[in-house]
Amino acid sequence: MVDRLFAGVLFLVALGYTYIAFTAIKAPFQYDPLGPESWPQLLGIVALLCSGYLFARPEVASFGLKLPTWGRLAILVVLLFGYAELFRPAGFIVATFAFCSLLSLMLGARILPALGFGAATGVVGFFLCTRVLELNLPAGVFAAYL
Amino acid sequence: MDAIITGLGQGFATALAPLNLFLVLAGCFCGTLIGALPGIGPINGVAILLPIAYGFGLPPESAIILLAGIYYGAEYGGRISSILLNVPGDAGAVMTTLDGNPMAKKGEAGRALSLSAIASFVGGTFAVVLLTAFGPALASYAVTFSPSDYVALMVFAFASLASLVGSNPVKTLFGAVIGLILASVGIDANTGVERYTFGVPDILAGIDFLVVVIGLFGMAELITLVEHQAAGTLKALKIDKSFVSMSDLMRVKWTILRSAIIGFFIGILPGTGASVASAVAYGTEKRVAKDGHLLGTGDIRGLAAPEAANNAAAGGAMVPMLTLGIPGSGTTAILLGALLLFNVTPGPLMFTQRPEIAWGLIASMYIGNIALIIINLPLVGLFARMLTIPQQYLTPLIGVLAFIGVYSVVSNPHDLFMITALGVFGWIMRKLNYSLAPVILGFVLGSLFEDNLRRALSISGGDWLILVESWNAVVLYVLAILVVVLPILASRRRASALAEGDSPATQA
Repeated sequence: MVDRLFAGVLFLVALGYTYIAFTAIKAPFQYDPLGPESWPQLLGIVALLCSGYLFARPEVASFGLKLPTWGRLAILVVLLFGYAELFRPAGFIVATFAFCSLLSLMLGARILPALGFGAATGVVGFFLCTRVLELNLPAGVFAAYL
Repeated sequence: MDAIITGLGQGFATALAPLNLFLVLAGCFCGTLIGALPGIGPINGVAILLPIAYGFGLPPESAIILLAGIYYGAEYGGRISSILLNVPGDAGAVMTTLDGNPMAKKGEAGRALSLSAIASFVGGTFAVVLLTAFGPALASYAVTFSPSDYVALMVFAFASLASLVGSNPVKTLFGAVIGLILASVGIDANTGVERYTFGVPDILAGIDFLVVVIGLFGMAELITLVEHQAAGTLKALKIDKSFVSMSDLMRVKWTILRSAIIGFFIGILPGTGASVASAVAYGTEKRVAKDGHLLGTGDIRGLAAPEAANNAAAGGAMVPMLTLGIPGSGTTAILLGALLLFNVTPGPLMFTQRPEIAWGLIASMYIGNIALIIINLPLVGLFARMLTIPQQYLTPLIGVLAFIGVYSVVSNPHDLFMITALGVFGWIMRKLNYSLAPVILGFVLGSLFEDNLRRALSISGGDWLILVESWNAVVLYVLAILVVVLPILASRRRASALAEGDSPATQA
């Protein structure tokens, strides 16, 4: 069932991709016999055939996960999107502290070690990356002090 | 022959430069650590560390030497979690669990670990020797390839991918097409026409390779780890004082040699890599041995075979990457993408135009193999201790590394959302038995495939017959057909043999 659902979604995406390839992609001057549209047309058709086949003959019935696992995975994805959202405005240290502390808490760490781990990863990670490795990371709220 | 010796000499001069020597050792060490972690295999390890290596601002030959060190270090380290935890780091290490873990349970973990280190060393070194011997010749032959020959080569690459990787060939093919589709986004280099950019300026230059790799591998790995943690904790077996003996080595010498040869040649086939190599080597041992039924119960031959084969395959996979510009495995696809990030075009001309990269990499593999055995035999206890680091701290670090990696190189917050979304997509694909390696192979080969097809047709003025006009191309198409048809015929034969065996006439 999930296999069919996934193949169905991909079929729709492939349909959109192929439609654009046949209608929207046009070169004002064509230098080669294929042009920019033929390759996507070819790929679109193969993608439609593959996803159509998988829709008709799915093999995986379910993900086989229990409800609590789904809950954890949902929290993880929310945490990751939150981390991405906070990364630039709040800065690496704050965003990493929040992400690491919350995720390690969810995975079973006790509250104080989790907070310590989050703080250490944020601060040590920031200085290690920006000062030692000279990588570019956002300072965010600490921009005036760092 | 002279050219090989000169080239190798130049390669050693590059690889033994203090910075590069340090990078080989650091790469091997970090790779072993990563490979030893449960669940993280070479492909994820290289994917997660790639942007960091890129961010160092190293010259291309040094960066690729570091990444290659991580690659075969991780291939080496995979055996530690396989043997002590019964958890393979990736598909290539699955066969190692079959006899490695039973040995550890019998109290022979030390013997298993030391034997597998030696088998890995022999397999890895054997592959580098063959790479040195045949690589340059293959490269100078490949220089004569025309665009239409390259098209045939791509067809062969995707054909061998579809028949050898994963359980469902359609899913494998679809994965490769998804990669090709992702690669078609951006401005078309030949005409300047925008394709699938939807007016978003961030993707005018195409979807960044790092974003795809980190998303599909790094983030999907993170989600998988959290999923496994919900299922329960893992307990590692302790290492004892036992060690491999000379009589053990004598007993498995032919096994190791056979498996190294099998591993190397399977590794060369585009897209297959360590998982197929170790499975075939294990199966061969089982057939060759008179007492094959003992394999799977903690037999040293069952441990030596996949270990020699998967390390030989890692070396073999470098052959098409260095000589043809076509990766032999998912991990070499990432290495190939890394070279492109450094504006180095991998392929046959690399041996003549960028010898410091091609030969430096080969020489570093000799050094890496020796370094790996030297650090692995005494330090195996240290690597094994990695298994006891609590997962609740290790898992968040993978997320942080992925974010640092993407942001420090691309500096675009949109990419952070993109890797997360790709991570979810990659995780779903994994759960539904899609293999992710074809996606990355398709992504890396996409523009090469399209460019060569268009170039070939430009030369012929649109006549498709040009694609089958040279002998190179014809041979490759025949090989492509054989790679697809032979496994189907073999499975039919097996099925009919089984059916005959079940029939009443033979039972009576």
